[in-house]
Amino acid sequence: MRKTLVIDLDRCIGCYTCEVSCKQENGVALGLSWNKVLTVGPSGRYPDVQMYFLPTMCQECEDPPCVKTCPTGASYKRPDGIVLIDKAKCIGCQLCMKACPYGARSFNTETKVVEKCTLCLHLQEAGDKPACVKSCVAKARFFGDADDPNSDVSKALKAAGSDNVHSLPELGNNKPSVRYILHPKTAKWTQNQP
Amino acid sequence: MKQAELRRRDFLHATTVTGVAAALSASVSPGLVRAQPARDTGPASKDAGPATKIVKTQCRACISNCGVLAHVRDGRVIKLEGNPEDPMSKGAMCAKGLAGIQALYHPSRNKYPMKRVGKRGENKWQRISWEEALDTIATKLMETREKYGAEAVVGSTGGGGNPNFMSIARFLDVFGSPNWFEPGAAQCYMPRQLVYMLMYGGGGSGNTSIADSNCLELYYPDQTPIKALVLWGTGPSYSTPPCGGQALVELRARGVKTVVIDPRMTPDAAKADIWLPIRPGTDVALMSAWIKHIIDKKLYDADFVMKWTNLPYLVDVKTKMLLRESDLKTGGSKDTFVVWDRKTNTARPLPYPFDDNLDPALAGSFTVNGAACKTGFQLLAERVEPFTIAKAAEICWLDAKKVEEAIDLYARNSPSGIILGVATDHNPNSTQSAMGAAALDLMMGNVEKPGTLLQRFTDGAVRDLRSTPLKDFLSEAQLNKRLGNIEHKGLLTWWTGQPAEILKAMATGKPYPLKVWIDRSGNKLAMVAEPHKWVEAMKNLDLIVHIYMYPTSFSAYADILLPATEWLETDFVVRSMNKLFARRAVTHLWETMNETAIFPELAKRCAKLGHEDCRRSFDAKATAPEQPYFDTYEQQLDAWTDSAVKMTWKEFVQKAPVDFCPFDKWKVYYVYKEIDPKTGKPRGFGTPSKKCEIYMESMITLARTGVPFTTYPLPPASKDYDPLLYYMEPHENPKAEIGKTYPLVMTNGRLPMFHHGTLRNIPWLREICPVPELWVHPDDAKTSGVAHGDWLWVESRRGKIQARARVTAGMAPGVVYMERFWNPEGLGTPTQGWQEMNVNILSSADPPYNDVCGTYTIRGYQVKISKAGGPPPGVWYKPEQYAAWLPQPTEATKPVEVRS
Repeated sequence: MRKTLVIDLDRCIGCYTCEVSCKQENGVALGLSWNKVLTVGPSGRYPDVQMYFLPTMCQECEDPPCVKTCPTGASYKRPDGIVLIDKAKCIGCQLCMKACPYGARSFNTETKVVEKCTLCLHLQEAGDKPACVKSCVAKARFFGDADDPNSDVSKALKAAGSDNVHSLPELGNNKPSVRYILHPKTAKWTQNQP
Repeated sequence: MKQAELRRRDFLHATTVTGVAAALSASVSPGLVRAQPARDTGPASKDAGPATKIVKTQCRACISNCGVLAHVRDGRVIKLEGNPEDPMSKGAMCAKGLAGIQALYHPSRNKYPMKRVGKRGENKWQRISWEEALDTIATKLMETREKYGAEAVVGSTGGGGNPNFMSIARFLDVFGSPNWFEPGAAQCYMPRQLVYMLMYGGGGSGNTSIADSNCLELYYPDQTPIKALVLWGTGPSYSTPPCGGQALVELRARGVKTVVIDPRMTPDAAKADIWLPIRPGTDVALMSAWIKHIIDKKLYDADFVMKWTNLPYLVDVKTKMLLRESDLKTGGSKDTFVVWDRKTNTARPLPYPFDDNLDPALAGSFTVNGAACKTGFQLLAERVEPFTIAKAAEICWLDAKKVEEAIDLYARNSPSGIILGVATDHNPNSTQSAMGAAALDLMMGNVEKPGTLLQRFTDGAVRDLRSTPLKDFLSEAQLNKRLGNIEHKGLLTWWTGQPAEILKAMATGKPYPLKVWIDRSGNKLAMVAEPHKWVEAMKNLDLIVHIYMYPTSFSAYADILLPATEWLETDFVVRSMNKLFARRAVTHLWETMNETAIFPELAKRCAKLGHEDCRRSFDAKATAPEQPYFDTYEQQLDAWTDSAVKMTWKEFVQKAPVDFCPFDKWKVYYVYKEIDPKTGKPRGFGTPSKKCEIYMESMITLARTGVPFTTYPLPPASKDYDPLLYYMEPHENPKAEIGKTYPLVMTNGRLPMFHHGTLRNIPWLREICPVPELWVHPDDAKTSGVAHGDWLWVESRRGKIQARARVTAGMAPGVVYMERFWNPEGLGTPTQGWQEMNVNILSSADPPYNDVCGTYTIRGYQVKISKAGGPPPGVWYKPEQYAAWLPQPTEATKPVEVRS
């Protein structure tokens, strides 16, 4: 089982709703982000320029460096693929933040622990989807088990075709599980990423 | 927000121009949302638990009114989500809407009525009772009326998401003052609404402003056959993400082709098939070229143009009026128009709707009874003749080849449509631009067919579920005093005065003095052009009242502050498609009062002080066919729901959403072809000729009399309005003398975090957009000596402000963009927060104005930029600074009851 997100960048309109719904749902502190929408571009020579939006969050790596580096076992990967932090075990050393290739973790100076996207585990447990998926105005976000061919994520990837499916570059062999859909008609996937 | 090149580790920590500096930590939000673990609060969750109640309501963070599910625990709103029942927003809410929870519990809410005890601007206030506040205002209103006349009282609204737009207009009609205004109107929507009403005749919603909840055809992506859309000066992804933005996502996904005309690369531009980054203010030149190309290549719908527009009708070249049968023979009808019949080579009356025995000439010049005549089509073709594609490309700074591709994409993919946005309302070419866009869609036959934007879906009895003006209460003598109204009679569309003339009267006392100003809006000083002039003029006022949810810069200069309800505290009827929804007071805090309830309270008090019309305004017989004022707001709500769906408000709230019209009777096409049982003929369009009046004779009538917006003739404007579109080069432009000092053209445009002047005090939103960015092309940045992320000075000949540079290839060279801004953190300081980064300090309230509506210039003027040493003093741009604005949980309070 590999629970993860798929984000359709052809649909994403950069409205930042997912950033705010994440903050509302998870009470994320001022200055911290578990979920952040970046703008890629505009690149090219005016007026032939292209631009797309790239929502970023924990990439739910199959072999997460944050887990490997954590000295206390606070960072761990569940059997369903979700990477989490046990705040009771976290000593705030922030080694995981240095190890994460994507800067997806933040240190909360008030609670003195590291935090990150939980894929809204509390909502999943209540049979719901993560807040960012549910609130997405453009219906650009999909959540589910990448190993289940009938999940929303698998269906979205299949419909997009492998040529149009991308992932953030790896650092070593961490295998990020989040996937992005982007067709060349919208924009060319930018390779100069981590 | 900008992240041109992504590097390792930069993702969530990206300290970009306006991005969140993640390293700068801040205090944790005080658990409003996470008062308890949120795990059991989802509406889809099986165990929502008895403690959490979900209340259906409708948002009002902007004018889109999206459906909301408010999660309430112990009387407190703890979470907001979209309501999937809403057929427009389909379960979505945007960042602004979700911010409603931080707006509701904002520590800076106006909590009680307050009166000023220090000097104006000193920020010293004393709490007073509602009774004292209302009595003080009413007494002053009556004194002013006695001493200076009722016209000395000014009312204003606007500035973002006003829940009941005409409430102040209605009050002033009753009180007897013609002088209400808002910073939008002539600068927002009214020019488009006016032109489409007169040209197409589809009523108030018969236009293509998607941000004003029109273009309803687009919300059925699986059914609509539309093939191509032109987004002209509009960016629904930013202005209304859950409604228009979402609709565009679905349409693009289904292969609908799009052209976006906007100098700024918006999300919709990035996803368009063709992007035309036009020079601001030149839209009419481009529209003229589109019309010319469509005429030259005969791409228009020839049958529709012949049978259902007035373009074949003959126009007397000298008088510019259409020929009537009565001009051909005595006793002829004044309602029958004349064509040139090619079979007989004579001028012949054309009986409505058409006479197949005639062969009317579409183009041509003719002599009728010695008078030179041309068809409307001929006059239009001559008017656009100079605008070749090459010429327009030169004027508009566009690539001619791309312009031609864009026209072809629109004209050869029928049905298609042009969504015309607010951009063209922001300069004196406002009505002409609407004339161009409307003419294009009508010539293409893009009207009332499946797949077109211009539709008359059934409004039924629900058109006016809000306060309406009481026009008959305002006497002819008082209407004649309305400032700017005689010269710019398009203002009658919204029954409003011209801001520039009101400013002049406030400043000079001419033609008469203004003494009292009641405003209900976001920050006026961030929304009007040249606010420094307004602040100076306000010194001449005896009483300034500000009604709002929280203090803004305007409040600093006021004498009395009245606390208004947030949308989460407000009851109202809201329409979405063929359904009515209830906006409900989910909670109530402090002593806030619904604005709609405030004005009847003022009217009651003025009545007691002897104002006869204020007394009559509560009498249904006197106000018919409009509703009267009611003694209580509950009675008003009952009256609205009763008139629409024959229910009390309480019953309606239980049942909402309620269909006010069955879907199949609501979504009806080809209304103009319906047979009118009275005449046995097709109903036609809602114009005097029942045809689409692309040749706008109605503009001449409007200039001379005010008809169709008045029932009696007003004195004429100094000059007739032109029946056809014409292009005016922006008064300030790069080639004019001013271009040497101020080389760059300024434009504006929406961002998804704010609606007009609102929400700059919301931590969630200021984190995303802490300060306004100035977007500039890399070449212009280099010439001006500025780099990405620099603090800037931005100057026009009217003033100087600051911004932060976003250097981007997504901006037309020679053009810069900046969104409106003010800094609530500056309240109580000498700037009062409106002077640091307020782009309207640079815009112009001076002539030239649009002749029809009096529109001034808030886009398309000249500026220069230079590097500044740092940010303006006192401006907050780090996340932790917004901790002061984090919500403070507050106990619910009883609604305010005011003793009359």
